[in-house]
Amino acid sequence: MVAPIKLSIPSDPKYLGLIRKVLQELLDSHDVPADTARRLILCVDEACANVIKHSYNGPCDEPIEATFSIDGDDFKVQIRDYGKQCDTSQIKPRCLDDLKPGGLGTHFMNEIMDEVNYCTNRAKGTLLTMIKKLKTELTSAQDKDKG
Amino acid sequence: MGIDLKLDKAEGSVTITVSGDIDMSSSTKMRDALTPLFQNNNKVIVVDLSGVSYIDSSGIATLVEGLQWSHNSNNKFRLAALTPGVKDVFEIARLLTVFEVFDTKEQALAP
Repeated sequence: MVAPIKLSIPSDPKYLGLIRKVLQELLDSHDVPADTARRLILCVDEACANVIKHSYNGPCDEPIEATFSIDGDDFKVQIRDYGKQCDTSQIKPRCLDDLKPGGLGTHFMNEIMDEVNYCTNRAKGTLLTMIKKLKTELTSAQDKDKG
Repeated sequence: MGIDLKLDKAEGSVTITVSGDIDMSSSTKMRDALTPLFQNNNKVIVVDLSGVSYIDSSGIATLVEGLQWSHNSNNKFRLAALTPGVKDVFEIARLLTVFEVFDTKEQALAP
C-alpha cells in the first residue's frame, strides 16, 4: 500500500478545483482509467461541497481534510470536517423522478461508490469514508467493450 | 478556475456558450446569466456546453431550473455539444432523456 495522500483545504468553494486536480494526478499516476477517475473525482467534489454547504454553512476558512489511498483493488477517500454533525437518518438520495434543482450529490456518491459511510462518533464534525473497488469497475468496463 | 460565458442573441432565441469547469464556485455565475433570459421573450434558449469538461450537481441544478422554465412557459431550453465527461454526469443523474440534447448548437437552434 502506498502511503495515503492528505490534503487540507479551507471550506471555500474556490478550492474545490484544487482538490479535483490533486486527485486527478493521483489517479493518473495509478493508471486509473479516465472514465473511472472522472466519477471518483465527482464524488469527492460533491462530498466536499456538502461539507461547505451543510456542515459549515457559510464560513470559508474552516478545515476540510481529505485523505486518499489506493490499496490493491481499493480506492479509499476520507473527508473529515469539524462543523455541524450530519444527521445520517436525513441523508438520502432524492427521487430522480421528482424533477427539481439540488439533492443530486448524494445520489452520485451512492451510485458510483461501493461503500459510503458517515461516522459522527466524535466530539465535532463528521468523517465520511467512501470506497470504490477499482477492479470491479475495470472488469465491467472491459465487459462493456467486448459486448 | 471558473467559467467564461458568451451570449449570442438572435430573433427569439439566445445561445449561451459556457467554457470551464462548472462547480459550486462557478454555477452561480451561470445561474446569474441564465435567470434574466427566462424573463425575456426568448422562445429558445440553447446552452452550448462544448467547452465544459466538468459539471457537478450544482451545475446540473442550474440547468434543471432552465428545464422548469421551459415546462412552465412552453418555450424551449436545449443543451448542445455535451463533452463525454458532462454526458456521463447527466447519465448518472438519469437526466439525459429528460433534457432536449443536441450534438451541435446549430442543430439545437433549428426549429
